[in-house]
Amino acid sequence: MSEFDRREFLKIIGVGAGAAAASGCSDPVEKLIPWVVQPEEITPGLPVIYASTCQECSTGCGLHVRTREARPVKLEGNPEHPINRGALCARGQASIGRTFHPDRYRSPMERSTDGSLTPLLWEEATAKVASAINAAGSKIAVLGGQTGPTVSALIDSWLAAIGGGTRAVYEPFAREALREASNAVFGVASEPIFDLTDADYVIDFGGDVLGTGSSPVEHSRQLMEARDAGREQGRKARLVYVGPRLDETASASDEWLAPKPGSEGILALAIARVAYDAVRASGRTPAGDIEAIEGVLASFTPDAIASRAGVPAEAIRRIGTALANAERPAALPPGVALTSRRATATNAAVLLLNAVIGAVGNTVTIPPPSGRPVASFRDVAKLIDAMRSGDVSVLLVHDTNPVYSLPPDSGFAEALEKVGLVVSFASMPDETSERASLILPDHTALESWGDAAPRAGVRSLVQPTIRPIFDTQSLGDSLLAIARALGDDRAAALPAGSFRGVVEAAWSDTDFREALKRGGEFAETGASLAPGVSAGIARLEFKEPSLEGDGKFVLLPVPSPLLTDGRGANLPWLQETPDPITKIAWQSWAEISETAAAELGVTPGDVLSIETSYGQARVPVWPRGGIRDDVVALAIGQGHRVGTYASAGQEGGEGAVRGASVISLLPSLTDESGGRAWLAAKAQVSATGSFQRLPFTQGTDNKRGRLLGESISLVALARGESPWAANEGPALAAAAHGEEHGGAHESEAHGDDHEGPPHQMRRAFDPVDDSDEADPFRWGMTIDVDKCTGCSACVVACSIENNISLVGEEGLLRNRQMSWLRIERFVGDGYQQLETGRPGPQNHEALGNTDVRNSPMLCQQCGAAPCEPVCPVFATYHTPSGLNGMIYNRCIGTRYCSNNCPYKVRRFNWFDYQITGWPEPMPLMLNPDVTVRGQGVMEKCTFCVQRMQSARQEAKSAGLQVPEDGAIQTACQQTCPSGAIVFGNLKDEKSRVNAVADENAGRAYRALHVLNTRPAIQYLAKVKREDGQASGHAASGSARPEKSA
Amino acid sequence: MTPPPAESVAAMIRPTPVTGDSKANRDILRVMEGGSLGYFALVALSVGAMLAAGGVWIWQVYEGLGIAGYAHPVFWGAYIVTFVFWVGIAHAGTLISAILYLFRAKWRNAINRSAEAMTVFAVLTAAQFLGIHVGRMWKSYFILPYPNQRGLWVNFKSPLLWDTFAITTYATISIVFFYVGLVPDLAIARDRATGWRKVLYSILSLGWQGTSKQWKAHNRTVLHLSGLATPLVLSVHSVVSWDFAMSIVPGWHATIFAPYFVAGAIFSGFAMVLTMMIPVRRIFGLEEYITNYHFENMSRFLLLTSIIVGYAYLAEYFIAWYGMVEPEQTSFWKRAFGPYWISTWVMILCNGVFPQLLWFKKLRTNIPFLFVLSMLINVGMWFERYVIIITGLSREYDPAVWGIYTPSWPELVIVAGSFGFFCQFFLLFLKVFPVVAIAEVKELEIHAKAHGGSH
Repeated sequence: MSEFDRREFLKIIGVGAGAAAASGCSDPVEKLIPWVVQPEEITPGLPVIYASTCQECSTGCGLHVRTREARPVKLEGNPEHPINRGALCARGQASIGRTFHPDRYRSPMERSTDGSLTPLLWEEATAKVASAINAAGSKIAVLGGQTGPTVSALIDSWLAAIGGGTRAVYEPFAREALREASNAVFGVASEPIFDLTDADYVIDFGGDVLGTGSSPVEHSRQLMEARDAGREQGRKARLVYVGPRLDETASASDEWLAPKPGSEGILALAIARVAYDAVRASGRTPAGDIEAIEGVLASFTPDAIASRAGVPAEAIRRIGTALANAERPAALPPGVALTSRRATATNAAVLLLNAVIGAVGNTVTIPPPSGRPVASFRDVAKLIDAMRSGDVSVLLVHDTNPVYSLPPDSGFAEALEKVGLVVSFASMPDETSERASLILPDHTALESWGDAAPRAGVRSLVQPTIRPIFDTQSLGDSLLAIARALGDDRAAALPAGSFRGVVEAAWSDTDFREALKRGGEFAETGASLAPGVSAGIARLEFKEPSLEGDGKFVLLPVPSPLLTDGRGANLPWLQETPDPITKIAWQSWAEISETAAAELGVTPGDVLSIETSYGQARVPVWPRGGIRDDVVALAIGQGHRVGTYASAGQEGGEGAVRGASVISLLPSLTDESGGRAWLAAKAQVSATGSFQRLPFTQGTDNKRGRLLGESISLVALARGESPWAANEGPALAAAAHGEEHGGAHESEAHGDDHEGPPHQMRRAFDPVDDSDEADPFRWGMTIDVDKCTGCSACVVACSIENNISLVGEEGLLRNRQMSWLRIERFVGDGYQQLETGRPGPQNHEALGNTDVRNSPMLCQQCGAAPCEPVCPVFATYHTPSGLNGMIYNRCIGTRYCSNNCPYKVRRFNWFDYQITGWPEPMPLMLNPDVTVRGQGVMEKCTFCVQRMQSARQEAKSAGLQVPEDGAIQTACQQTCPSGAIVFGNLKDEKSRVNAVADENAGRAYRALHVLNTRPAIQYLAKVKREDGQASGHAASGSARPEKSA
Repeated sequence: MTPPPAESVAAMIRPTPVTGDSKANRDILRVMEGGSLGYFALVALSVGAMLAAGGVWIWQVYEGLGIAGYAHPVFWGAYIVTFVFWVGIAHAGTLISAILYLFRAKWRNAINRSAEAMTVFAVLTAAQFLGIHVGRMWKSYFILPYPNQRGLWVNFKSPLLWDTFAITTYATISIVFFYVGLVPDLAIARDRATGWRKVLYSILSLGWQGTSKQWKAHNRTVLHLSGLATPLVLSVHSVVSWDFAMSIVPGWHATIFAPYFVAGAIFSGFAMVLTMMIPVRRIFGLEEYITNYHFENMSRFLLLTSIIVGYAYLAEYFIAWYGMVEPEQTSFWKRAFGPYWISTWVMILCNGVFPQLLWFKKLRTNIPFLFVLSMLINVGMWFERYVIIITGLSREYDPAVWGIYTPSWPELVIVAGSFGFFCQFFLLFLKVFPVVAIAEVKELEIHAKAHGGSH
């Protein structure tokens, strides 16, 4: 036994124990493989941030991609980027999931005749495309979405190099009408840019500028800054909304007019006429052809239009005068839902109004045309014709899903049958790639090089932030490879090397590395023209559009603020986020008015049959007060057959459709410009008698007068009559009265507290008391209900930052959503209704009523938290910085904390969602800074405590005692486009959170504070800007009659 | 209990040797013999229900609590309802054994054994739900203040912790109480048993000889245990009620909860004793020992506690109205007329209205009526907890997150299984231990003889 020494013994024991352990567990052994050569820039545990550009839509917001150990874990807005300035919308936040989507094509694929896919090598796939192109001659077509300039230029030169072919750029939500209207009104065919910075009177003609407009992040920021109720100027700013439906922008507006759908154009002209008279009366003259202006406006008198549009003439006069007298007014063009067959005239009317009120060159700039190919529905129609007549042998489809998003009567699907070879560059399956014979999967935006030029003066770079997860290739490289496979003679005309080189070459006029660091090249102002009104406007005919069919209802196809044109439907975070208006997720619903619903005898969830001359759909109904009686609204975006999350495949069997697609009900009609008309059909609506439970996430919009989602009138705000000051104690009460309004209001009872410098004033309740005295922090937040549009970017940001699980439609039907942050939507103060029976969702909206309060609800980090004392095991406890900490490992799941939480912000892991809900490769995007919760534990918001920890460490390394104010941003605050959320240290006298609270003391309140929970979040009440009162707008007329629930 | 007069005890112990067995011995021990087909069918049913529940529970541990019907914000459901229900059932036993003992209510002797047994079984059943209801039952030992290296301690502020202590204390005391009372009877059984029963009873009877010294010690033990158990009758359900009353949930946060719950517990406990003892008496022919007189006395208790409970219902509504706290008013309005109105009216009718019929002596002594009424009360008391817990949680402060909870089938299987769990113990008890306290019944007889009067 001499050779059996200690080392040998340990070896045997070790191997034996390891083998025993390994054989005992069912999970495969996972290995941690260290880097052999560690990348220089990566320190394990520290994030590396890359600047890039969001590719989710064509707005082109700048990104900061936070990567950890070479994996992107979170997208944030690039603070330097002039469009989004650090914020990001819900869609942008969720777009990180494209890279880690379980549906992604793993490699090039070929479809066999039975429809199944077989993997190919890239060489094979490229060769197949090349040989098809060789055979096709010039019968080649490229159909794609709006892409960056470099890819776009490459496609053009590629087509030229291979011997010609046609190209069509297709965007379902292209704004051709606006471009054409600009051409007609100003003689410049480009999309005007609307800058709402400091705008004091904005009228939106159905563009839903804050929700589904052309640049919602930018416009939310600008408009909400302009309306900041902490400033005198902001209290005077007005927003008027014109549209048939109470959407996000209508909810935020001060006045909402609901004219007949399609009459927005003539209404704009009537307003323009009033404004024109006022402008001329004040001695100003609009630039341009005065005769043309007067000629167009002549017949649009307020009284004549009032009855045609169904709007009071008084409102037209009042708004027209106000616009004429405003310093920075803006009139915004209609959005997708109101793009009718006369969309160009409608847009032209709005642009004319802008010209009349002097907005052009002020809030509205007309950039010179970019000269790049733009999305054109006319081109698509031509391509379909060519396909139908057999003139297309090879069709290459990239970045678009026309089989889903084109109306059935466009004939695209049938025409596709006639194409010899359909090649798709989709990175994950969609309805179009399912029809393709060859799939050459593209990289996702986070894996590829590229660029974007969203507007004049702004060039933005896209750079890869992760090595491609699967065997994919970027579109540019695929095209180059195909060209090379075709032969050197053809490839010669194209750049050598990779697509990355093409991008670098395109940016050779700049310091490429510097641009990469910044995210692009951002000029302060882009080139712009200040054209006057041209005579060309006279060639347009301004009248209401005709609608196809003979139904009783106008079919209003509403773009979804989350799913856009349907491209977001396969991103589960967007599906799981409740619609900002109806709070329904994962499903389609049809909105009709309560009156219409009563006539049809339907209640929420009853399935309606909606029939147009083009199709029929069965959709559960969602009756509401905030929609015209003659309108049925259906959101665009659902109704997919393909995609794990987009279709109902998981829950409804293979290939089952999730929700209904409104596109299948629409005709393939165009407006004057050849752009696609969405508002084009009438629908017949009838009850089917069946019922479908809708996954709605909010019990009622009646807040029953409870201290949640508050509002305050301008008069009360000006007088310092805060109804909540008493809760806040003397200091805040005093601040609410404010010096500018005189000390007369100061109550004598508070006199004693006013001695000494302000920072020494003790408040009756001071959240600072709820942290350890020795601790340098007491975290707090202010949330401005007046600024919150309900866009839900924060909800998605929170989900992704904190690895929040998704529960699907099934889970939502049981109210089991895991979101730590929800946006509560209340209409009016509510009332104490003691109704009987099983409650349905209640609706307190009314036409013209804009008293909608979007109140983000998250853990209030109470000082006297009801959740803490009831936990038997201290799984939730009070941290020294005053947070309500949550120790997942200690939680046994009694759920008492949630029962005792009046805000109901705690979520419970009913199942092991992290295992069932995150199919490969989604776990790669989990944030390593946040514990992944298992089955049976409670979870909740802790103000992104992981961000505090890293900021504190950074501060320490930088030799600071505490992080600087603003160094810690919670995920929700970081992404909020309207800047409604401010987070910071309440113990820091100079922190922004304290400053905002003090500036707005007159409208600060704490949710349900009557329960003495001592919340650390201060809400700032929504300001009701009634016209004609107190500091109302100078030009405004009589008070608008306000309906309230 | 005063010890029996010395001469009677002496007469009992040392008189002429017993020729045959006494009638009481024979009658009561006969219950333990054999077993009919019906008995085994009941055992099979109970064990079957329990096993089904066990299977569902294992599935629940594997899958997660999501298989239950919980829906935000209702995070407590049928499990806690059933937990409180069983804790309530457990109260009659100790009341009968301890409080009535101290009050010298001799009539209790005929029913105290079965009531005590039910107490033990009900507490054991209730305790199951602490594990069934938590999200991570495999970590539920965290709730015990055991010493550990990391110095982790439990939160003594949490009513759930008090609950744990209350239940474990109550279980301990009621088991000891039950066992101490059994010892003399086990000795009787031992003297007559053969086979495995002989071995079992020999061990369990702890060498009981029936000497006066032993009796003296026994009586003193019972007296002291009664003293210890008496406060528990009041405290355990008070603590359970504080699980709710200590929270800020509208409809839970009420000072009336402790007496309200204790009365409700005694109410439900007596109802359950009636439910179990009426068939037992009938099937095993114990009419001589458990008489209508006993049932009438229990009915009086039912009537009294029903009035208290009914008063509590009214007081809750009154305070909600008088308190002018809108969320509470709304909660109570919804309770009566909202989505859960059926449960509420079942509760009010079964617990507050129907028992008022017991004012009539004819009905108090009408055994079939009592049986039906006791069943109704059992149902009503389950629904009482359902109403309090579910309606309270479903309509809280934030109207945006009001929700509706409906129990799922796995929950209902587990709830049904708890009845199986309880019943299998009771059925086993019938065959293993004397169902009526023989010694105490005899004591009554001796008493009666000695004093020549009735009780």
